[in-house]
Amino acid sequence: MTDSVIECRSLTHYYGERLIYKDLSFEVPRGRILGLLGKNGTGKTTTINILSGYLQPRSGECLIFGEDIRTMRPATRARIALLIEGHVQYAFMTIEQIERFYSRFYPRWNRDAYYGLMEKLRVAPGQRISRMSCGQRSQVALGLILAQDAELLVLDDFSMGLDPGYRRLFVEYLREYAQSEEKTVFLTSHIVQDMEKLVDDCIVMDYGSILVQMPVSELLATFRRYTFAAPQGSMNLPAGAGIYHPAVLNGRAELYSFDSPATVRGVLERAGIACGDLKAETMNLEDAFIGLTGKY
Amino acid sequence: MIKAIFYKEWIKMRWFCFVAALFLAGFTAYALLRVQRVITFKGAAHIWQVMLEKEVVLIDLLQYLPVLLGILTALVQFVPEMAQKRLKLTLHLPFPQRRMILLMTGTGLAALVVLYAAQTFALWAYFRAVLAPELVARILLTALPWYLAGLTLYPLTAWVCLEPTWRRRIADMLVAAGVCRIFFLSESPQAYDGMLPWLCALLLCVLFFPLLSVHRFKQGCQD
Repeated sequence: MTDSVIECRSLTHYYGERLIYKDLSFEVPRGRILGLLGKNGTGKTTTINILSGYLQPRSGECLIFGEDIRTMRPATRARIALLIEGHVQYAFMTIEQIERFYSRFYPRWNRDAYYGLMEKLRVAPGQRISRMSCGQRSQVALGLILAQDAELLVLDDFSMGLDPGYRRLFVEYLREYAQSEEKTVFLTSHIVQDMEKLVDDCIVMDYGSILVQMPVSELLATFRRYTFAAPQGSMNLPAGAGIYHPAVLNGRAELYSFDSPATVRGVLERAGIACGDLKAETMNLEDAFIGLTGKY
Repeated sequence: MIKAIFYKEWIKMRWFCFVAALFLAGFTAYALLRVQRVITFKGAAHIWQVMLEKEVVLIDLLQYLPVLLGILTALVQFVPEMAQKRLKLTLHLPFPQRRMILLMTGTGLAALVVLYAAQTFALWAYFRAVLAPELVARILLTALPWYLAGLTLYPLTAWVCLEPTWRRRIADMLVAAGVCRIFFLSESPQAYDGMLPWLCALLLCVLFFPLLSVHRFKQGCQD
């Protein structure tokens, strides 16, 4: 039996003639929190839509708990909690009504988990969700997900529209819950700093492909920014061969690489570039993300 | 789970059902008061004579109400599902998806049947006191296609609402308008008597149209 909760194999998708990605494959191991990072338009939401069964890829397949989501049995769907971008919920219901509604569908429904979070909101139980702030709605959506007690949580852009306080609350609550209950989480967010506090592994997507999939700790330990004084005149920094996004800014050359300082120094010297003051530094996840995907 | 599905539909529809019932009661009362006024001034015999000689059924005012209610009921139920693509939440629930949609439309149809039945009962109760049974049957049989039109336009409107692309939605609207026209081709009393089984068959056929839109939604069709 496989230990991957999600298996996506050879996904290819186009919107019209525009290729989103080709032969994309990845797996999400059981009990891990995996973040999908990528610039706008790289296919994060497309991937979530395929995963949640609301988009048929041009080719390839996505399996969750070994089943194709498009033909998944209802009992298997009960094992997956889904957060839609923007914390969308049935806004025409009140806090009480929505709890009563969802509780009928999930055999392991945890009412206390939901109302425990609702107590922090200081809203009346009869208040309609449509009349709540974006932050409050996010907590209702989170509370419903926690109460489902699902094995897999799929969260699309969970930080969208949230102020720093609610983002922090969401991240901390989710992190504690996922770790204590050994849940598998697959999520996307535009706020990369939040991901650093939350995820175990990350997939960084570029246009059309996956750049890296690895534990965040490994990425932060091995991916470095290298800077050195740029020589006068024009300079052709070597790109490729383990060097990411070389550029010169304000008299200093900058590049990113997984290679060791000695290896990078060797590459530069073979290219005829003097780099006597070559400086290597590790980064936070946001800087590493920029280093991998580029600023533009 | 089925109770929960009905519960959600009830939350969406309850105020609308209340207003629709008042609206229907108001129009029905107004139509019957107009008849009663004529009876008061000219006698019931005059009404009999007018019905037989001029081929009228006295309640033309109510002709388009069932269609209007059918369309509004579907809008009340399915616009909130499509706003922010909440249908994703509904389809993700651990319940068979097609059964879920059919239960949702079944709830709307049941509400419409109750409203139409209440109006029909009011018409029957009033007219049986002032008209011959044959004339009462003539009025109710003439009104029957109007109710069938309302029941048919309900799933067609749901089909339009659930469709994920605007281009296809407009095409669906044109089809729905064409189907609606079929029910109002003739204003003669009992003109549709021979066609009633076909109209029922048409209703049965379109009951499943919302599933087509849901299928397209799941494929990820978008503008």
